[in-house]
Amino acid sequence: MKLHYYPGCTLKEKTTNLDDSTVAAMDVLGYELIEPEGWTCCGAEYPLTEDKIVGLAAPVRILRQIEIEGADKVTTTCAFCYSVLKRANKAMLDDPLKYKRINAFLKDDIKIDPVSNNKTTGFPEYGCTVDVVHLLEFLRDDVGYDKIRSCIKRDLNNMKVAAYYGCRLLRPNKEVGIDDPEDPTIFETFLETLGCEPIDYPFKQECCGSYLSVSLPDAASEASYQVLRSASLNGADVIALSCPLCYYNLDRRQKLIREHHPEFSGMPILFFTQLLAWALGVDEKILGLDQHYNDPGPVLHQYSSAEVSS
Amino acid sequence: MRIKLKHGEEEKEFIKRVSELSDQNVYKCYQCGRCSAGCPFAFEMDLLPNQIIRMVQMGQYDEIVRSKTLTLCASCFTCHARCPKGIDLAKLMEAIRLIVDPKGKDQFGPDEVPVELANELPQQVLVAVYRKFSK
Repeated sequence: MKLHYYPGCTLKEKTTNLDDSTVAAMDVLGYELIEPEGWTCCGAEYPLTEDKIVGLAAPVRILRQIEIEGADKVTTTCAFCYSVLKRANKAMLDDPLKYKRINAFLKDDIKIDPVSNNKTTGFPEYGCTVDVVHLLEFLRDDVGYDKIRSCIKRDLNNMKVAAYYGCRLLRPNKEVGIDDPEDPTIFETFLETLGCEPIDYPFKQECCGSYLSVSLPDAASEASYQVLRSASLNGADVIALSCPLCYYNLDRRQKLIREHHPEFSGMPILFFTQLLAWALGVDEKILGLDQHYNDPGPVLHQYSSAEVSS
Repeated sequence: MRIKLKHGEEEKEFIKRVSELSDQNVYKCYQCGRCSAGCPFAFEMDLLPNQIIRMVQMGQYDEIVRSKTLTLCASCFTCHARCPKGIDLAKLMEAIRLIVDPKGKDQFGPDEVPVELANELPQQVLVAVYRKFSK
């Protein structure tokens, strides 16, 4: 089955492990992922002020392309892309003025064919028919947990996993929330399906520091440390998440966190698609475990036998 | 903290512009403090989120400009999710950031990215931080 999939900029460069594991896992489940033609960056941050509507142009252009290609649904795994695309889509649906202005702006788009240099103009209006869903929602609603269970090849033997939602999957809850903003459970149910034992801990929906890890690294690493510490104190073997920025802050920043908190022993971080791909028996090389600062390989091998049963 | 309150045309204009840009009614806030209780960066702030709203209600532009709180908001929307009056503080912070220095220098620009990190930072963090703190 074909499924439209918007990867986003980070997945093609710095976190190819998230992209590769998503494609491999969905292939096992019988889905061929199609990227919209000529996709660009979604803008990463949804514009929060009323006069900055040009920030909607990029996400709406992507959604329009998906609509032109005849799809009514697009999935994302990056929490930032999910948030921006979903909020832009909702703004177009709810606000007639924004709808009119953005469509008027995008009407003049020119597409240049890189080979023949031919110019195409005259794009249709975006009609808001595309539904933006996060892959976790898609796995629950469209694929179904029973189907995932029937495809599992590697047992995870109740590995203790802390599901980390972060901010963008849950809030603003009325616009993008995939679950309750204070007590979400969708991630935990997914992990149970894979055979993991999700642990409960109070920092699963707290902020990891987000983009402040560049502008104010010390403050951001403190926020990341609180998440890691909480998961560790509650007995997690590994943290599972869906956002490349949370992954950067929680995994690659452990070096900086250790400088401030020498007692911190480290915590492996995995994308939820890596866990899914592992459980579905995808080759370990595709998971890109070598890209991690804290190698999650030993934990995965400790819990599940390396042999894939057919 | 002693503040001399002013309520002239300039202050009224500031309140009006913040309300317009953020599309939020700041007078809804009754200072319960849940935003500050849940804020993951409150430990670094000199003015807490609820104090910022109070300053906006009173039009105290000068106090807000001096505060480092504006650069500490990570737009995680925890305050928004917990506000009993439904105020979106992240929108408020962004509106104030725009008013404070609309054409001035970047609060955080490309030159300030640490060289040793330039190769390992994910693209989205750079796009996001410039969107927030550059003009």
